[in-house]
Amino acid sequence: MTTDLIRRRTAPRHLVSSIIYHCVMLLFAAIFLLPFYWMVISAFKSNIEIFSQPIAWFPDPIRWENVSALFARTDFPFLRQFANSVFYAGAVAFGTCFSCALAAYSFACLRWRGRNLVFAFTICALLIPPIVTFLPTYIGWSRLGLNGTYWPLILPSFFGDAFYIFMLRQFFLSVPRELMDAARLDGASEFRIWWQIVLPQVRVALVIVALFAIVYTWNEFFGPLIYLKTREDFPLSVGLFTFRSQRAVEWSISMMGATFTAVPMVVLFLFTQRFFQQGLATKGLK
Amino acid sequence: MSSVILTGVRKQFGSIEVIKGIDLTIEDKELVVFVGPSGCGKSTLLRMIAGLEDVDYGSIEIAGQDVTERAPAARGVAMVFQNYALYPHMSAYDNLAYGLRRAKVASTEVDRRVRDAARLLQITDLLDRLPKAMSGGQRQRVAIGRAIVRKPEVFLFDEPLSNLDASLRVEMRSQIARLHRELQTTMIFVTHDQVEAMTLADRIIVLKGGRIEQVGTPRDIYHHPANLFVAGFIGSPTMNLFPAKVISQDGRQVALHLDSGPRVVVSGVAGSAAAGTNVTLGLRPEKLQVARAVDGVDKIQGEVTLAEHLGGETILHLSGPHGPMIVKCDEDFDQMPGLKVDVTLDMTGANLFDAEGQAIC
Ligand SMILES: Nc1ncnc2c1ncn2[C@@H]1O[C@H](COP(=O)(O)OP(=O)(O)OP(=O)(O)O)[C@@H](O)[C@H]1O
Ligand SMILES: [Mg+2]
Repeated sequence: MTTDLIRRRTAPRHLVSSIIYHCVMLLFAAIFLLPFYWMVISAFKSNIEIFSQPIAWFPDPIRWENVSALFARTDFPFLRQFANSVFYAGAVAFGTCFSCALAAYSFACLRWRGRNLVFAFTICALLIPPIVTFLPTYIGWSRLGLNGTYWPLILPSFFGDAFYIFMLRQFFLSVPRELMDAARLDGASEFRIWWQIVLPQVRVALVIVALFAIVYTWNEFFGPLIYLKTREDFPLSVGLFTFRSQRAVEWSISMMGATFTAVPMVVLFLFTQRFFQQGLATKGLK
Repeated sequence: MSSVILTGVRKQFGSIEVIKGIDLTIEDKELVVFVGPSGCGKSTLLRMIAGLEDVDYGSIEIAGQDVTERAPAARGVAMVFQNYALYPHMSAYDNLAYGLRRAKVASTEVDRRVRDAARLLQITDLLDRLPKAMSGGQRQRVAIGRAIVRKPEVFLFDEPLSNLDASLRVEMRSQIARLHRELQTTMIFVTHDQVEAMTLADRIIVLKGGRIEQVGTPRDIYHHPANLFVAGFIGSPTMNLFPAKVISQDGRQVALHLDSGPRVVVSGVAGSAAAGTNVTLGLRPEKLQVARAVDGVDKIQGEVTLAEHLGGETILHLSGPHGPMIVKCDEDFDQMPGLKVDVTLDMTGANLFDAEGQAIC
């Protein structure tokens, strides 16, 4: 009886498949992590060591002075650009959450004439490639005299985004209608119902939308490149690029900058991982 | 004075008319129950009274005021939902207090009222808990508490007990009856549980397809259903219906020839029934008796298809010459499926329906 159980637990077929599974996963993990690893070790080498043959898989010596060198550069205001990125990503995330949650609430929870038609149009907006509208939008912002500021980059996020509206609507649909009815009977205004009753039920979805928006904006390159003019205004994405194009030779400082750009996103993801699992596992895009 | 008066109320969803003209007066302090088959518009009508659905035609008056165009919170109504609809992220206390805070009631008064309601419903210990840490019965009590604290003119209940198990349902039913006595408020209660309707209601309103079929006290509706639909819908087990032909009418007495054989006389007929017309005789299961062989008396032959022993009594399902029959009889009468029996009819309190299905007796 006991031997039976033990034998079954270590059934060879399962053991083998489990080993294969883990090997494959480790291999893929290694492939995906390699560039990241390369970036980090390069940040702690000198320019010559980076390209030395044979490849050095660990920096020797570890050049910690590269860190202070990055922050000391006058032609690469890293901290300033880091702050710009935080502001840019934060504002876009806030605007996206706010506007998309309002629109999604209306589409999912309120009844009004033409609702489905308007929703269909909203979804159609997903089909228009942003590059097509780029030039007219650019000209528009120029006429308004707002080129060279963050307005063209941030303001649009306060007017919703089709994908996030669609995603949030799915979550809002799962909130029982009776909750809102009860709040209506309790005398809450529509805005208060949205804010105090419905939003707390879809917290997970909001965190996910905020994260998507932050990561996307953090890496956003084309928009800031077109609209912003001065080095002091650039976010990190454009800052890193322009620094590299000025000084193509200084790889280690570039890599140090790239490392410091990537780390916040990794940390952010580690802290919010459970929301992703919760959100996608429970309701998500059903 | 918190009566509710509905006048010519109609409601359409798209092109489908769901409520087809309801005229109804609910008296002050009355407990009325809406019953009817699924999809007949009970919830919709209740939600219209609450102001959660627009009224397409007609008007609704509560406590002497026309509230047809008023917001839900301004009507003096409170509603308890089938799935409780407690705010999941708020403690029981905050659930109860939410409406009062919206109404800008002073916080000491909020506290007093919440604690009073909690005491009345015996949920004081639960006040700090979130809904997810409560049992179904506890949630339901909190939901009722949320309605009570606002001191509404009218309570609306939409099948509040249907998610509870049988014994809890009985307990909550008596709690609601007690609340009605103590609070002395008008209550409208939706259910499709017969027993709930019969035990709670001052008056029952039977709905079908968006229309009122009958309004009356539980006894009225049980003993004098207005038509075949109500006769078949109210009462469990259901009323036996026998197709018959009128032989003759003598004042308030009508002689019938049942299609299944026997001739019987129904007394107390109010309408007129011409000889030869088709009618339907309705008899409650307790008015039928089973005997193994009775001579000389008119009887109907049946075969036992199912015997349900309920302890105190037995419900026999028979297949007769004109469809199924149901008989309520004593426990000691043990009948096996397949057994052939004779059924005799007790004509006191018989119901008679004309060819259109309207009661004439
Ligand atoms: N929002 C809506 N849109 C369209 N049709 C609806 C809507 N709400 C209800 N209906 C329809 O109205 C009819 C009555 O619904 P209602 O919920 O009032 O029935 P009910 O008597 O409460 O039934 P049940 O006993 O199953 O709760 C149903 O046919 C339903 O399909
Ligand atoms: Mg209903």
